[in-house]
Amino acid sequence: MKKWVRGIYLPLILLFLYLPIVVLIVQSFNAGVSRARWEGFSLRWYKELFASPQIMRALYVTLSIAVLASIFATILGTLAAIGINSMGKKASSAMLTLTNIPMTMPDIVTGISLMLLFIFTKVSRGYFTMLLAHVTFNTPYVILSVMPKLREMNKYSYEAALDLGATPSYALRHVILPSIFPGITTGALLSFTLSLDDFTISYFTTSPLVQNLSTLIYSEARKGIKPTMNALSALMFVALLILLLVVNRRTSADHK
Amino acid sequence: MEVSNRLIDLQNITKIYGETEVLSDINLYIRKNEFLTLLGPSGCGKTTTLRIIGGFEYPTKGRVIFDGKDITNDPPYKRRVNTVFQKYALFPHLNVYDNIAFGLRIAKMDKKQIALKVGKMLELVNLQGYEKRSVDSLSGGQQQRIAIARALVNEPEVLLLDEPLAALDLKLRKGMQLELKRMQQALGITFVFVTHDQEEALTMSDTIAVMRDGKIHQIDTPKHIYDEPKSAYIANFIGESNIIRGTMIQDELVHFCGQDFVCVDSGFDKNEEVDVLIRPEDLHIVGTDVAQLTGLVKSVLFKGVHYEMIIEAGGFEWKVHSTVMAPEGSQVGLSVIPFDIHIMRVEKEESDPGGEE
Amino acid sequence: MNLSPFGIGLIVFSGVLFVFLIAYGFKVHHGMHRSIFSSPYTVWMILFTVVPLFLIGYYAFTDVNGKFTLENFANFWDSNREMKRQLIGMGFSLEEMGMTARGSVNVDTLVYSLKMAFGCTVICLLLGYPAALLIADRKFKLGPTIIILFIIPMWMNFLLRTIAWMSLLEDNGLINSLMTRLGLPKLKLMYNTRAVLLGMVYNYLPFMVFPIYNALSKQDVRLSEAAQDLGANNFLTFWRVVFPLSMPGIVSGITMVFMPSVTTFFIPRVLGGGNTEMFGDLIERTFLTADNWNVGSALSLLMMVLILMSISLLRKVDPEGEGGSFV
Repeated sequence: MKKWVRGIYLPLILLFLYLPIVVLIVQSFNAGVSRARWEGFSLRWYKELFASPQIMRALYVTLSIAVLASIFATILGTLAAIGINSMGKKASSAMLTLTNIPMTMPDIVTGISLMLLFIFTKVSRGYFTMLLAHVTFNTPYVILSVMPKLREMNKYSYEAALDLGATPSYALRHVILPSIFPGITTGALLSFTLSLDDFTISYFTTSPLVQNLSTLIYSEARKGIKPTMNALSALMFVALLILLLVVNRRTSADHK
Repeated sequence: MEVSNRLIDLQNITKIYGETEVLSDINLYIRKNEFLTLLGPSGCGKTTTLRIIGGFEYPTKGRVIFDGKDITNDPPYKRRVNTVFQKYALFPHLNVYDNIAFGLRIAKMDKKQIALKVGKMLELVNLQGYEKRSVDSLSGGQQQRIAIARALVNEPEVLLLDEPLAALDLKLRKGMQLELKRMQQALGITFVFVTHDQEEALTMSDTIAVMRDGKIHQIDTPKHIYDEPKSAYIANFIGESNIIRGTMIQDELVHFCGQDFVCVDSGFDKNEEVDVLIRPEDLHIVGTDVAQLTGLVKSVLFKGVHYEMIIEAGGFEWKVHSTVMAPEGSQVGLSVIPFDIHIMRVEKEESDPGGEE
Repeated sequence: MNLSPFGIGLIVFSGVLFVFLIAYGFKVHHGMHRSIFSSPYTVWMILFTVVPLFLIGYYAFTDVNGKFTLENFANFWDSNREMKRQLIGMGFSLEEMGMTARGSVNVDTLVYSLKMAFGCTVICLLLGYPAALLIADRKFKLGPTIIILFIIPMWMNFLLRTIAWMSLLEDNGLINSLMTRLGLPKLKLMYNTRAVLLGMVYNYLPFMVFPIYNALSKQDVRLSEAAQDLGANNFLTFWRVVFPLSMPGIVSGITMVFMPSVTTFFIPRVLGGGNTEMFGDLIERTFLTADNWNVGSALSLLMMVLILMSISLLRKVDPEGEGGSFV
């Protein structure tokens, strides 16, 4: 009976989740512009995609910001986690509260508050401000990924290294970092994907002149999205899928 | 005592965390090649003392002198001491070989030399052939040996051990106690050992420092501490004991249980109130006719080597260890020779003993 | 980029600070505590999280001239009837949002948003709990794979996924052409509250499933076995043991769906076709279209207070925040 329910219910839910994605990918191979009518298979949109300077620029902005923001956030967050882990109870709980603020705040408030900061300080919005914003919302996720690994560590490991003659910097590089490396990778990947997908915060912290894919899609949504966008997101979707498979293969290989 | 003999000298060490004084005015010296144990219940400050020697904590007041030089503010990596940590703190991302070689690599020793030394160490701790094993795959006892090897390979002048045997089961612990003692004697290194286990302290140490509430209460050889504890607290902490209040009539005569007993202690005031200590094994069961005290056997427990009996005599419940059993409910006599009666000054209640964590 | 001197100053300052603090952290003096490593982050968070929040507070309590005022909040209750009239002029459908021609737009929008968020949360819970329960079953080998299948759609750009629904729901969309083929009348699927709700449920459903799945799959099987040993049937085992123990998961699921739902932004615009507006859109419009930062900040502040209140309420049910770790 339970099997029977599961056999029907789960496919239905998955259908609901995947229907728009299937539609989107199918549309990207449609020869016509129409969203509803199939006019034959074609790679037309994929060709147009690479010919569109606007989309290519947005792709460049999206990817470069995702890479840079995840690098900065990973450095900042890893160091912060190490610091927080060595603090007393009161100080560390205060720091964790500070870390929780951007995660509990709605994206729109985060975006608007940063926009106000940039306007108030007369920093014109663009690539740089978007990068700052992305580092800001990514860092807490890095901390949350690294923290559990630090908690798992023997608390005397660091002291043991100093005891054996290591300077604090040597102990950090050769003892702490290797032990928490899985957490750092998780954090970096997480911030990369978050950054790739972000719309709301980017929308408020950039100018119409510097657009990432999300803000470009948004500004085009009113005019009607061209299937080139579908082609691009289908490509990115596949790329992320491959990335996940590679990472999974690697981590499962590590476990053996 | 010759000053040059003192390898480590702690002078007036006080450590305060926030509002609490963890160590108050500790004075302690450790001689070359000595096996010194810091013994006390948890929260007595023994681990803090060790960490101050290791350089992981800095004293609020006082100085740490090492081989004549003030090292109070030196970081751990500049001190010629190494530590075996509680729960070992082996590096999980390194294998056995790399764990032991860690300190040698930092010292930039050449590869051949490192391989040689690590091999010797593994031999010393009886783990030849374990080089490539991951530390997680080792048993607790093996990890313990690796932790010791990792510290000793650096040829420290002093090895600090922070309750290193606490995580092992009883049998392994006994074995390791002997092995540690053997290593210490073979290598001629000074050991500073922290434990709360009085038996461990008595077995291994040259000198024991009994600590309580951030102070050193008595520092002496195991034998002296056992036979002549300074206070009822130490007598209770080390070994089993019967402690009863008495009065010093005059030198070498003490009054308790309504009788006068001849003893060997002197130097007390006349009629001074004292604590009288008699170890359970020093009470002998004798016929009631020749007994100093007579009483009723209230309970008998078989303990393997001996019987433990509780005998009520003279208004006090005496714990008696004897290989001869007196049946429960029987009337027996007890006697004790003067040499086995220890007189201690009554301790002033400085602090509530239950108040510590 | 054209920058004011102040702006350049800020950039240079934060850059230098960042580099300096990290370099300093690496060269720590032995006596210095490792907590120094978190100082670049602390500075960063103060600059880019705390200060901006204070700015929202500042704008919320001042008028255009920078003078202290409570006007921005008073306006909230006391409505902009004028604005409402303008909205009607712009083609907003008051009926669709359950508004009357009287009363405050803001209050109406807030009530509408809360209703929508509540509806979305309830639907997600009703759909998501059984799904999580079925997936978390230990005898079900495919469970972990299915959970990954719930994550994968989130990688596709959320705007595009929402827009893809348009192709399905449109008057001439896929569903309606299927209906015509079958000889059924066309349905009006788009540009109404139902469509917005659908879009929200679609986007937030995984956030309900993950924490509940987490809580359920962590449960000790022996607890259920013990319940059955003590005479509970399948239903009672679920109701008295499995369900109460999954409560932390439910609570964090509700938090993770309800919070973003209230501030949903964009979905109403696409699937509601501009007929409806939710609080997120209202804030955005007040800032960017109406260009009124003071009222916009006041609205944001109210939003935050609302959310903090809900969180502290939910924390009481799940003080450990256990189910929250879906990442």
